[in-house]
Amino acid sequence: MNMHSKTDLRELSYAEAIREAMDLAMASDERVILMGEDIGVYGGAFGVTGDLVEKYGTDRVMDTPISELGGAGVAVGAAMTGLRPIFEFQFSDFATLGMEQIVNQAAKIRYMLGGAVSVPVVMRFPSGSGTGAAAQHSQSLEAWTAHVPGLKVVQPATPEDAKGLLLAALEDPDPVMIYEHKLLYKMKAHVPEGYYTTPIGKAAVMREGKDLTIVATSIMVHKALDAAAKLAEDGIDAEVIDLRTIRPMDRDTVLASVRKTGRLICVYEAVKTLGVGAEVSAMVAESDAFDYLDAPIIRLGGAECPIPYNPELEKAVVPQVPDILEAARNLAKGRV
Amino acid sequence: MPTEVIMPKVDMDMATGKIMSWHVAEGDRVAKGDPLFDIETDKAAMEVESPGDGILHHTAPEGMQIPIGTPCAWLYADGEDVGPQPAPFAGQSEADAKPEPAQAPSAEAEPELELVTAAEAVETDTATDKVRATPRARALAAEAGLRIADLIGTGPRGRVQALDVETILKQGEARPAPTAPASFKAETGDLAVTRSKGGTGTPVVMIHGFANDATSWAAVEAHLKHRPIIRIDLPGHGKSPKLRIDSFADLVREVRRTFDGLGLETAHLVGHSLGGAISLALADTRAKRLSSLTLIAPAGLGPDINGAALSGICRATRAESLGPWLRSLVAEEDLITDSYVRLAMAGRADPNLRAAQTRLADVLFPDGVQAFDLRAALDRIDTPTRIIWGKQDAILPWKHALRAPGTMALHLFDGIGHMPQIECSDAVGRIIASSV
Repeated sequence: MNMHSKTDLRELSYAEAIREAMDLAMASDERVILMGEDIGVYGGAFGVTGDLVEKYGTDRVMDTPISELGGAGVAVGAAMTGLRPIFEFQFSDFATLGMEQIVNQAAKIRYMLGGAVSVPVVMRFPSGSGTGAAAQHSQSLEAWTAHVPGLKVVQPATPEDAKGLLLAALEDPDPVMIYEHKLLYKMKAHVPEGYYTTPIGKAAVMREGKDLTIVATSIMVHKALDAAAKLAEDGIDAEVIDLRTIRPMDRDTVLASVRKTGRLICVYEAVKTLGVGAEVSAMVAESDAFDYLDAPIIRLGGAECPIPYNPELEKAVVPQVPDILEAARNLAKGRV
Repeated sequence: MPTEVIMPKVDMDMATGKIMSWHVAEGDRVAKGDPLFDIETDKAAMEVESPGDGILHHTAPEGMQIPIGTPCAWLYADGEDVGPQPAPFAGQSEADAKPEPAQAPSAEAEPELELVTAAEAVETDTATDKVRATPRARALAAEAGLRIADLIGTGPRGRVQALDVETILKQGEARPAPTAPASFKAETGDLAVTRSKGGTGTPVVMIHGFANDATSWAAVEAHLKHRPIIRIDLPGHGKSPKLRIDSFADLVREVRRTFDGLGLETAHLVGHSLGGAISLALADTRAKRLSSLTLIAPAGLGPDINGAALSGICRATRAESLGPWLRSLVAEEDLITDSYVRLAMAGRADPNLRAAQTRLADVLFPDGVQAFDLRAALDRIDTPTRIIWGKQDAILPWKHALRAPGTMALHLFDGIGHMPQIECSDAVGRIIASSV
């Protein structure tokens, strides 16, 4: 996060940062094409592609029919034949319809063809709750794809990483899944100009602390940072780690932090059970960092239910800042 | 090839056993089944038999902690060359241990029940008999040479956390057990033993309870006159010296030394309350010398004990404050007359005796919890055993008796408190007489 010049304080929204990454890539590499439903003239369901169709034409910014299976299949095929497609699912929930192409084709082809062909496809998944879009348009299903060897899965939490991880994904010879949180699209922050990549598989320490470690993903990184600022007022010094990539996971950064603090909270929006937090917890428990744990690990995740339409209930089923505060206070004070 | 003598596993969560004493000298011949050595584990002490015939060599030094399953001596056949010791001992002797803490760390920081119960006794997980401690606390304790079981956990359910270890390290003391009151001056010497005149056959050895002494047996003894009677006063009680006792094992060691010194071939053993717990521990190591065991309201069979009564009795400096607590010992309060209380207080006039007992209570029953657990011993012993208990016992719950295996006789008295040997001495006397 601090590698880039601080003199340039240009701010972009998360969506603009993604668009800038796509624009940069398309300008410098004609193999890069965009595919997805309503990404052309309409500019994408969340306006991420915007007016790129005007700049690059419909040959390189392609509206695909309402078939995720078909669109994803064409993208996989295009990647196999030398292009660098970026395929957008309107909602990550609809990836259910494209799973055959993601899991059985994209993830397997390099392996099954003995390394002769790779699938350098990038897939973007607008995900998460908080937009009032109800149960079928609000899920966080990143753990599904993260369970599959052959795929890389990232969850950028900041505009800077949204751009850097997308450019890194395009450089990667294998399929990369990018889960973008819908509530982050309008978030503005400093984004460096020009071309840069954020390494896949590397977490970011967003705030250093010594009392406890909060490992968070996506929008939860910001909630964890808010909580950490309040905890500091209580004299509790929380370290906040943005996992950024959930497959492959940055073991070293997480373990080093746990060795330092001895206390761990995992915060993620997806349903708590069998989610990213389970993997982080198990990784710590299986490692030498276990010896440094001074309290049980806490996972804060989504409730065991579909995302409700009612806005109050929608907030209630995913971790919020007060939940993180309470867990962290209990943990820091040895009450857990 | 010499035969290895292996440290046996006699307890569920035993990692090491401490060699207390060898029954057989180095170079002597032993037969299979002969008593070979005594060991002490976290919870109990017991006698280990020889695994075979042969001549004993390369014995581990007394005091050494030997991990289970590893050799502590070797048996050689007749004429077999005795070379160098076939393998080093895996254990650590007390001399090797750091001077502070006083207790040698075991090879692993193996959990034990003692003392940890102190923090949140009610919520402590007695079901597993394991100490709750975080990995970091265990690592810190191991590094500092502290036994995790000696630490008091302040975390949820009594969990030992890093903070608890750091606190102890800051205090610079290995054992958080309460220190002796300033007035307590430790003495040395042998425990007081008194004997009855007359009687023949197998003697009856009697061990009294906490804050009591040998005179408490008078009423029962009337039924046992046909046998020699030998009474042992516990350290800091009766006529015995006020020894410094740091653990239940310490206490048992002293009494065992006294018992061994009696030189009896066989004996009937009778113990009340704390003396019952000690008798049970003795039976665990001296089974072959015991013809019968009678436990009257014995301690050691569960965590609960009336801590308020114990500390009340220890604290009392006047008959007025001692009386109410003495009355809680019995079901029928009238039994404890004012003159009895004054007499009892006169016996407790020595402040050093009260200080010694206060300290002993702190060590054995920290925060009003029985810090030692003999339930496993109860299952192990095969000495014919009776347990006598009053169902109105307000000091130790009579339901602890239900832990006894089916081979033991239970005599449960309605309307009787913690002192059956006084409250219904005739019945208790007849019960004991029927087995001696």
